[in-house]
Amino acid sequence: ATTAKARKDKEPFEIDFLLPLSANLAETIYTQASSNTVISLPKKDWKSKTKNLLPDDKHFNSKQLLRLFLKPKARMRSRRSGFG
Amino acid sequence: TQVSSIFRDAQRTTASHRKLVINLRKIHEACCYEPTSQKTKKTGAEEFDEDQFTYEFTRCVLRVMPVKKSETVGERAIRFIGFFLKHANEKDNELAPAGEDETGIMVETPSTRLTSHLMNTILPLLTAKEKFIRYRSTQLISHIINSLEAIDDDLFQLLRHGLLKRIHDKEAMVRVQAVLGLGRLAGNEADGEAEDSDDDSGAGLLEKLLELMQNDPSADVRRSLLVNLPILPSTLPFLLERARDQDAATRRALYSRLLPALGDFRHLSLSMREKLLRWGLRDRDENVRKAAGKLFRERWIEDCAGIAETGEDEVANGEAKAPNFEGLLELLERIDIVNSGVEGGVALEAMKGFWEGRPDYRDAVTFDDYFWDTLTAESVFMARSFNDFCLSDGKGRFEALIEEKMPEVTKLAFYLQRYITVLAEALRNAAAQELAEDEEEDDTVEQEFIVEQMLHIAQTVDYSDEVGRRKMFALLRQSLSLPDMPEEVTKLTIETLRGICAGDAAGEREFCSVVLEAVADVHDTIMDEPEFEDANESFHSAKSEVSEDGSPGAPSKSSKKSELSEEEAREKAIREIMVNMKCLHIVQCMLENVEGNLQQNVDLVAMLNNLVVPAVRSHEAPVRERGLVCLGLCSLLDKSLAEENLTLFMHFFSKGHSALQITALQILTDILVQHGAHLLDSNPTLLKVYLKALKSGTKAPEVQAAATVAVAKLMLGRVISDASTSIDDLLKTLIVLYFDPSTAYNQGVRQTLSYFLPMYSYSRKDNQDRMRKVALDAMHKLFEVQETLDDEGEAEVDIISLNTIGAHLIDWTDPRKCYVPGNQLTLSDEGPKKAVNGDVHLYFARDLLERLGSNISRDEKKSLAPLLAKLYISPTSTETLIREVYEEISVAVDEKLIADA
Repeated sequence: ATTAKARKDKEPFEIDFLLPLSANLAETIYTQASSNTVISLPKKDWKSKTKNLLPDDKHFNSKQLLRLFLKPKARMRSRRSGFG
Repeated sequence: TQVSSIFRDAQRTTASHRKLVINLRKIHEACCYEPTSQKTKKTGAEEFDEDQFTYEFTRCVLRVMPVKKSETVGERAIRFIGFFLKHANEKDNELAPAGEDETGIMVETPSTRLTSHLMNTILPLLTAKEKFIRYRSTQLISHIINSLEAIDDDLFQLLRHGLLKRIHDKEAMVRVQAVLGLGRLAGNEADGEAEDSDDDSGAGLLEKLLELMQNDPSADVRRSLLVNLPILPSTLPFLLERARDQDAATRRALYSRLLPALGDFRHLSLSMREKLLRWGLRDRDENVRKAAGKLFRERWIEDCAGIAETGEDEVANGEAKAPNFEGLLELLERIDIVNSGVEGGVALEAMKGFWEGRPDYRDAVTFDDYFWDTLTAESVFMARSFNDFCLSDGKGRFEALIEEKMPEVTKLAFYLQRYITVLAEALRNAAAQELAEDEEEDDTVEQEFIVEQMLHIAQTVDYSDEVGRRKMFALLRQSLSLPDMPEEVTKLTIETLRGICAGDAAGEREFCSVVLEAVADVHDTIMDEPEFEDANESFHSAKSEVSEDGSPGAPSKSSKKSELSEEEAREKAIREIMVNMKCLHIVQCMLENVEGNLQQNVDLVAMLNNLVVPAVRSHEAPVRERGLVCLGLCSLLDKSLAEENLTLFMHFFSKGHSALQITALQILTDILVQHGAHLLDSNPTLLKVYLKALKSGTKAPEVQAAATVAVAKLMLGRVISDASTSIDDLLKTLIVLYFDPSTAYNQGVRQTLSYFLPMYSYSRKDNQDRMRKVALDAMHKLFEVQETLDDEGEAEVDIISLNTIGAHLIDWTDPRKCYVPGNQLTLSDEGPKKAVNGDVHLYFARDLLERLGSNISRDEKKSLAPLLAKLYISPTSTETLIREVYEEISVAVDEKLIADA
């Protein structure tokens, strides 16, 4: 199945410039959108509350879970859970 | 005819474009110009005229318009068209009489006529119904704008207007193309801004695009803007802001394309450099981190190293350039090493990557006597980061480098001593002049930084050399009793001392006793200074004196100099507080490094009774609070002490300000971790503390965040046992908290939970089952929360839909994702994953059915019903259970339970 697909991919698409514009094609090209709103993004999507920015990373990780708050250098006693 | 066959060839490969353009131009000329000479080779096109050429050309262009985005031929054809028009215009301008150019008016030529005609044909297509037509026409116009030097003014306005409409196209691919064209226009307009600044649409273009870069939902659009907008003082802040874009590829583009193109990084503000470095090196995405690291060690260093060297005229093979340590020092200075090089600062990561990625610098660096004699903040950091880097590689690949380049212990101690002396001196001078110039201040800060970095190095060296060890030990012991050493220096000194003492219990005793000796010294030195204090008074009695009447303005020792003025009395009280704070800080740092039993160490017991306990009772809030931390640390070393003081810690939580609440929570949590959860079960109020803290969101978001981490820790560490009565409640609260709109702005809570909840569920089968058990209760609660929100019409916060919440819950309870001990599943192992017992989801199905059959609201049922379809029913689940659930489902279907909802 893969070889068949590969062969299909290799057959390149080409534009036939010699053909005159068919009526069909001309229609697709020249058909205008019924209104501007149809082809536009809804106005509500023009603004993004977050400005598409990430919030501050807190860099939370498993190391923090395995540490005592008061003694950051010491490891927690070996009361291990199953995920280690 | 010929034109179309040229187009046919052009779509195949861009390699032949040059030749094809020339051919097409020949035809073009033949059609448009009268044959100037009979010698011109016949092209066979002479019988056609310009109109015919234009018609044929346009016809070919039109054929490109409906081509799908995925087809590369369309791309190539459009590039060919642009190339040809550019070429044709240039040729025409050569042919045009030179004199007319100076008038500044565009001369009409066959090429401009062709361009105009073509553009006027394509323009209406911008609003075509078919999206690919819009895509190709926008692409063509943008491409032509980017290819041509000049365009007729009226036409230009039309194009600009047309493209502007497309920046809000429904299709992101169209917007990307529109933006590509407009980015160039915005650059031109910004250049000539003064000319027509009253033209409001003109000045607005850049603004519009910047706004688009912030708001467009498609990352592709934002990214094209990022790399195509002109870099100007007015646009730069907006461009740099994208360092935090939601899309990783956009962030990477900033680090790998925009910033290298920006030129010298030293034009950026100091805080911006630090932010960019920090954001980039700590990004969530590895590729962004890599790009940022590369930027630092290849571009920024060259900005500094290049200038220090010859200047601009170095050749492209930058690799060949010799390492320039002046440049590296300047680079460190330019990232404000004194501030970015502190613990938690980004400079250490930056330099780690630097040493990693620059073997040339790694090999060339040397630290000779002169280097150590003349340390600066930058050079000491270079040494420290190099030392850290060599050690950080677990395989010991670079240990030989340390051996080779770093000084041995004795020498290090010698230099450290020198810089500690300098620091002490500087501090004394600063204190004497108090209000003196800032320069003094800067100097002590730098000296402090140097000592800190040297202590960091001292923590890593090998103390098997006894002479060196003793020297260092004595030095640290001595500097610890200098009362005005800054806190960070003290902390590092103590940590280094701990490392020098042996790791066993005897070593710990030695460590404690030597630190406590220093505490006594500190106490005495300050009490010595003013004459009114009895220098011979013992450490312990002095302690109790401080704590007994430590309130301000309470003159102690009536036997002594009764003529103390009020001023002096106040100063004395302040001094006492300072001493106390310093002693407590030393003790705190010490306790952080102690693990043995408290009762078995007489020094510690004495310290507890004479220093810590009185401090907790002090009337001075700072003293009291620091005493609390020390008491907490002591409690970690002694279970009965912890039990005795549990109520006290809870009291601090309920009465304290939010920072104190956090401290109290952390102490309590550490105690539970250390001494076991039975304390939680035997103290129902303790659980209330946690629940209260979790709900303190509106008042104190920091407390809520701290509580979230604390509870997550307790639950993941299984400190709260499965048998605990409180565990279901806590888990439910956490789930609700995660989705509750009120925590939307509390990133501490959200990010902790987004780590914790899946981790908790997938780590154990029992956990997953508990998750299943509370899931629907949590969902019900959230449903209620959202309903009340709807009523109040608060659309301010983003509400997570119940469908999404449900999907998360289903996912967390998915039996296939659960870790099974002894059965290391990898994601690729489909086989064993299928064999997993799927009872969890069957129970989930049951729970759901039960809910659907209950009298909950119709709306809630609506959000629950679809969840049934998402459950995974494993063939290897308990057979009877499958049957039961199947029957219940059948009944439900019969009773139209689901159809109902």
